[in-house]
Amino acid sequence: MTKPLITAYNWAPDEGRGLVRDMRVRWALEEVGQPYDVRYLNWGEQKEPAHRARNPFGQVPAYEEDGLTLFESGAIVLHIAERWPGLWPNDPAGRARAIEWMFAALNTVEPVVWDQVIARVIDGKESWASDRWPSVLERLRARLGELSQALGDNDWLDGEFSAGDLLMVQVLRHVGDPAILADYPNLKDYVARGMTRPAFKRALEALQAGQTGQPPAGWPQ
Amino acid sequence: MTKPVITAFDWVPWFAKGQVRDLRVRWALEEVGQDYEVRYLPQGTQKQPPHRMLQPFGQVPTYELDGLALFESGAIVLHIGEAHGGLLPGDADGRARAIEWMFAALNTVEPPISDYAIATLFEDHEPWSKPRLPSIVARISERLDELSRHLGESEWLDGGFSGGDLLMIAVLRQLKGTPLEAAHANLAAYVARGEARPAFRRALAAQLAGFTAKPPPEYAFLDQPPARQGESK
Repeated sequence: MTKPLITAYNWAPDEGRGLVRDMRVRWALEEVGQPYDVRYLNWGEQKEPAHRARNPFGQVPAYEEDGLTLFESGAIVLHIAERWPGLWPNDPAGRARAIEWMFAALNTVEPVVWDQVIARVIDGKESWASDRWPSVLERLRARLGELSQALGDNDWLDGEFSAGDLLMVQVLRHVGDPAILADYPNLKDYVARGMTRPAFKRALEALQAGQTGQPPAGWPQ
Repeated sequence: MTKPVITAFDWVPWFAKGQVRDLRVRWALEEVGQDYEVRYLPQGTQKQPPHRMLQPFGQVPTYELDGLALFESGAIVLHIGEAHGGLLPGDADGRARAIEWMFAALNTVEPPISDYAIATLFEDHEPWSKPRLPSIVARISERLDELSRHLGESEWLDGGFSGGDLLMIAVLRQLKGTPLEAAHANLAAYVARGEARPAFRRALAAQLAGFTAKPPPEYAFLDQPPARQGESK
């Protein structure tokens, strides 16, 4: 078998913190011990036809393996979990619950986290941004409170570390203000626990080593 | 095997009727021909402990069968697709691509559409909602343009109808009644094609038939659309 080939940026505005979504796929591949190759794009190339053929929405990552091309980081992580052991339990019920947490991360928790990113980064300069911020925070805190309750004193969301934890930790890393997560100590520890996994560290190092490009011309410094 | 039990509401605001996420699960069960039972929750009880045991975020739907309890409509639709034929292709690559479209629907296309609902329904009275709307519409439009280009003249997103189409159509239906509904003729036809499926019609009828309760007094004003919007329909 050839190695899977993923698509990633050679420069991204997250300053190498591993918030770009190829991090999810790198981390999953590291967890299962599968080496991979990377096709790097300059920032902006994701919207060009060559990459749109891999991902119609012009995003990274894409994943190519033996004639199969996939996009959507959640679907790729799920594919990796099916292909190699290590990302969910062997029993069907445990596997279904790991998948449940994958969807919870991406369809229930990520939207409110992402709304907070948009409110801060994209809409931050709008005259109404500060008036709106409390409602953004309220929705985010409601979800974080529920997630915190669900996690309780456990290390991971459902038994052993799974693909659901992988995606949830990556989603929570987007909560920009450390003071927000600090109000949920078990979630703060949960994210830290994810980030100390050797597979996470290898994935982040690989991502950072790939940051050899430059910001596009005219990018605000 | 016993029948799966799902949860749904016995009353929702006018704008949520036909849109609550148990519809996605009902539709999937109808597509695969699996009977199911429904446990109806009075509005508000989804946030109380008995339901939170099943669904930590206090939402519907949930799915219970033979000791397995699941939440998240996407995960439940996938589970149904794996347990029965009819929602995922038989070949491994086709199956992976159907799952890809399930995630695309829920993680790429749905978030800006949900944001539109926040600005126009849940926060419509807030001073920031109107100025925010153009940027939300721009984000949705970008996704719809991309999806429309990908779909082209095809009937479904990738070969035969799949769980990916089911979720994508359920997501796009949330634009009904908005100016974005008819932005792309091929997407409008795609949604109509999904809604014409007998399984969808049965699922929708079943959801609507389940709204048998009166609204809680504090939500009575949300039982019917405001008169002006009713007239323009």
